Order: sequence, then structure tokens, then C-alpha cells
Amino acid sequence: MSEMIRAEHLTYEYVRTVEEEKGSRSETVLALNDVTLTIPKGAFVAVLGHNGSGKSTFAKEINALLKPTKGVLWVDGMDTSDDELLWEIRQSAGMVFQNPDNQIVATVVEEDVAFGPENLGVEPEEIRRRVDQALETVGMTAFRKDTPSKLSGGQKQRIAIAGVLAMEPECIVLDEPTAMLDPMGRKDVIETIHRLNKEKGITIVLITHYMEETVDADWMVIIDDGKVAMEGTPREVFSQVEKVKGFGLDVPQATELAYRLRQMGLAVPKDILTTEEMVGALCQLQSTM
Amino acid sequence: MIRDITIGQYYAANSLIHRLDARLKVVAVMIYIISLFCIGSVATYGVAIAALAAVVVASKVPLRFMLRGIQSIFVIIVLTGIINVFTNKTGTPLWGQDWYLITTGGLSMAGMIILRLIMLIIASSLLTLTTTPIQLTDGIEYLLKPFGKIGVPYHEIAMMMTIALRFIPTLLDETDKIMKAQQARGADFETGNLVHRAKALVPILVPLFISAFRRAEELATAMEARCYRGGEHRTKLNRMAFGAIDYRAMAVCVAFLVVEVVLSVLL
Repeated sequence: MSEMIRAEHLTYEYVRTVEEEKGSRSETVLALNDVTLTIPKGAFVAVLGHNGSGKSTFAKEINALLKPTKGVLWVDGMDTSDDELLWEIRQSAGMVFQNPDNQIVATVVEEDVAFGPENLGVEPEEIRRRVDQALETVGMTAFRKDTPSKLSGGQKQRIAIAGVLAMEPECIVLDEPTAMLDPMGRKDVIETIHRLNKEKGITIVLITHYMEETVDADWMVIIDDGKVAMEGTPREVFSQVEKVKGFGLDVPQATELAYRLRQMGLAVPKDILTTEEMVGALCQLQSTM
Repeated sequence: MIRDITIGQYYAANSLIHRLDARLKVVAVMIYIISLFCIGSVATYGVAIAALAAVVVASKVPLRFMLRGIQSIFVIIVLTGIINVFTNKTGTPLWGQDWYLITTGGLSMAGMIILRLIMLIIASSLLTLTTTPIQLTDGIEYLLKPFGKIGVPYHEIAMMMTIALRFIPTLLDETDKIMKAQQARGADFETGNLVHRAKALVPILVPLFISAFRRAEELATAMEARCYRGGEHRTKLNRMAFGAIDYRAMAVCVAFLVVEVVLSVLL
């Protein structure tokens, strides 16, 4: 598999003004500190980290909204610090943001989905085809003539995903897409992106702080203090409960339960991720007792 | 209560007027309004009223929607009428003297002005009632294009209109939330004199503005992420197309104009 995203010693720093009692002073913040990371094409990668860990900065780097201060970031072989490639990078790595209200531009659903391809200068007939297909993929065809403000948060977020899909990207970066949604909307969005990954082979980079959303990922990365703190399959990462908690993060509920049961001396496996696995392990345990 | 405000007053219906190209409608309304101020005789007014009535009927929009527009500027209409009655002293005197002298000339002038204003409002509300905001902005963008050469940022104007329309419901929601939050903490917006109430609005406006700026920044980032780089090389999902009915409607507009000009010259 070829590489979708490759970061080498990626560093991003910015100057922040700190308000203090006696005037203000400026300090340099290292949002990303020497990140080296590879994401293969077609992968579903979850990026975790607590607030201010630098995970959103990483997302913006992929979309070339921010440029590396040091180090290099390649998106589909394109160097993000090259201004000439800017639009091509943004086309091939689409981005979905946290607040569904602040990323929808048009007053009609299908006009909003068309916004990306319109910017790319795609022919009207082709835009029509892409819009119809994108709406079909996210299951929002019935709402194509509606006003986005009348839709639910989950539906708006699916429209935002359709808007990115219509640009025919190879990779979609989602920066906490479910943070402002209710459980129903969250499930909708997560199912949609899993389907995109499996059926269309689109590389997904899901930035989140909901542990449950990362369980089905192929790979997960924990970013802490601008650095890659842990990396591996969700099973590998979550089996190290204490280490994960050390970064101010939680583990999935089932993993937490397994961890506590083990502490009490019960012989359950430590890499349990889902409720079903927990049930299985407990039944097995009962039959051996 | 704040939810009652409707934005753009589009009335959904499937009529001939609804189907017409937005550009044609904008130009037709402009020509109609200009012609209203150029005509003077009874015959020309008759034609103008007949034409407007025909369009109103063809639009299938209930008349009360248009009258709503008149309601909102009723005071201005009445005031204009009164001023005209007392400032125009031509014709035969009817009643009063000096400054409050009422003459036939004054009355007919006032009547004409009021008629003009009412027709003007009906004509312009017909445009917004039968054209969706998005068609309207597209139409305006197209019509302003020739002025791009002299530096009119036509694309930006249209984009601003679109975004404003998109965010009005969002910001109304937000205003409602902020008001409720302030009321929950004992803010009072309903009693007191004008100054008092105006002051009570400050705790609403400040958070609203802060949030609007934050939204604007996020939206700008999201637009950039979707490759927005201004109007150049941009294509459109829906191409505006002039169909047979548009040409026919155009012919009707030209006919109206010719009749009005001929009547004005002859009479």
C-alpha cells in the first residue's frame, strides 16, 4: 500500500499573547513537536488526544491550512509547504470540521454540496452527477432541496461530508465531527465514514476524543503535548490502560471494566474493546469456574 | 417570538411568474418602477395598473402577501400624501386658505403619488415573492458582471448575500438562546422606558457579536478547505438558462414599454 500522508519531524509553533495582570507577554507554543507518522492509503486512522494536545493542528496541517514550521508533510506525495500544490492538496485531502453550522455555505442542501466542485471549476453536468452521488452516499438525497438550518446536527454533518465527497478526495480528515452531536447523530456520522472507508476506499483520519469511536479503526495514534505518544491498533493501545489514562484520556467502557476485574484478580483478557467481547469473556470465565 | 421573522419572503407556488428567469424579473421590475415615475396621464396609469394586475393574477400569490408590504410603510404613504395635498397649490381651490389651502391639483397629485408608491411596492414584492433568494443572488451576480470591469466586486456581493441569508436563521436562534440565558439570570427586556430597554440589549449584542465573529472565522477556514478562492474560474451547479417562456415574457415587457411610450407621446 502506498502512503496517503507522511509526516517527517513535523513541527508547528505559533506565538500566543498571554494576558496578565501587568500587561501582556507573548510566548511560543509548540503545537506539534517533531511528529513522524505514516498513514497508508485506504486506512481508517483515529487520532486521539485531550484538548490542546495538538490534534486539531495536525488536521489543519494535512489540509495545508497551516504550514509546517519545521519538518515536512506529504499528502499523496505532495509537499504541503509548496504553494503551487495548495489547491490540489485541499482537493485530495478534504476536511470536515467540528461545528456543522459554521461550515455550510449555501441556503439549499444541494447548492452547498456543489460548493467544492464549483470552486474547482468542474463542468455543471459533472457537478450535478457528483452532487447526486455524494448525497446518495451519505443518505441525504431526500433532503437535497431543503434548507440546512432546518436539519438536525447529524444531518448537517452528513451534508458537510457530502460536500467534501463531491470534490472526490482520496482522504477525508474529520476534526471532532461528532463533538456537537447527540448520540443518534454521532452514530449516523461514524457509520457513514466507515462505509466511505470500506466501500470507496477513502482514507479516513478521524480526530476525536470519544473512545468508542476509535474501536473500529485500523490504527490509532495518541497525540499528547504535540508529540506522538502512542501508536498501534486500538487493541494494542487500549490494553495499556494505565498508560492511556496517563495522557488524560479514557478507555472504552468494556476495557475499563476488564481492567478493574483484572485488578480484582479475575482472569479476563486485557484487550477487550466492546461489550460483546466482554460478555464472551465473562461467559467463558463462568464455565471454567 | 423571535422565530416569527421570516427571511426573504419567498412564496412557493408553481406559476408562470415563478418559472421565469430571475435576471428577466429583476430587469423587468426595474424598468417598471422607472416607468412609473415617467408616466402621468390616466391612460398610461391604466395600462400600468392593468399590466401589474395581470402579473399578480398570473403569479398565483395571494394578494394579502403583497399588501403586507404596504402595511409596513403605511405611515410613509400617508405622510407623503398629506405633504402633497398641502404643498401643491395648482388647480381650483376647494377648502381652507393660506398654508392649509386644499386644491384639486394637490389632491390629484397626492392620489397619484400614493398610487405610484403602492404599485411600486406590489411590483417589488412580486419579485421577492416569486424568486428564491438563491436565484435572486445568482441573477444579481449575473446582472452586475458587466460592472466588474469598473471594479464592482459582483461575485463578492453575491457571496455575501448568500452567506447572510444562510446565517440569519442561525444567528436568530443564537439571539434567542442568549436572551433566554440572560432572562434566566434576571435580565428584563420588556419593561422600563426606551433608554432602559436599549441598555438591556447590550448584554445580548456583545455575546452575539463575539459569536458571529467566531463563526465568520470558522466559516472562512471551512471555505478555504473546500478550495474557495474567489469568483474566478468558478462554475455553477445550476446554469441560468433563458427558455422560450422567458423570451415570450421579454416580448410582453417590450410591448408594455412601447405602449406606454406611445401613449405618453400621443396624449
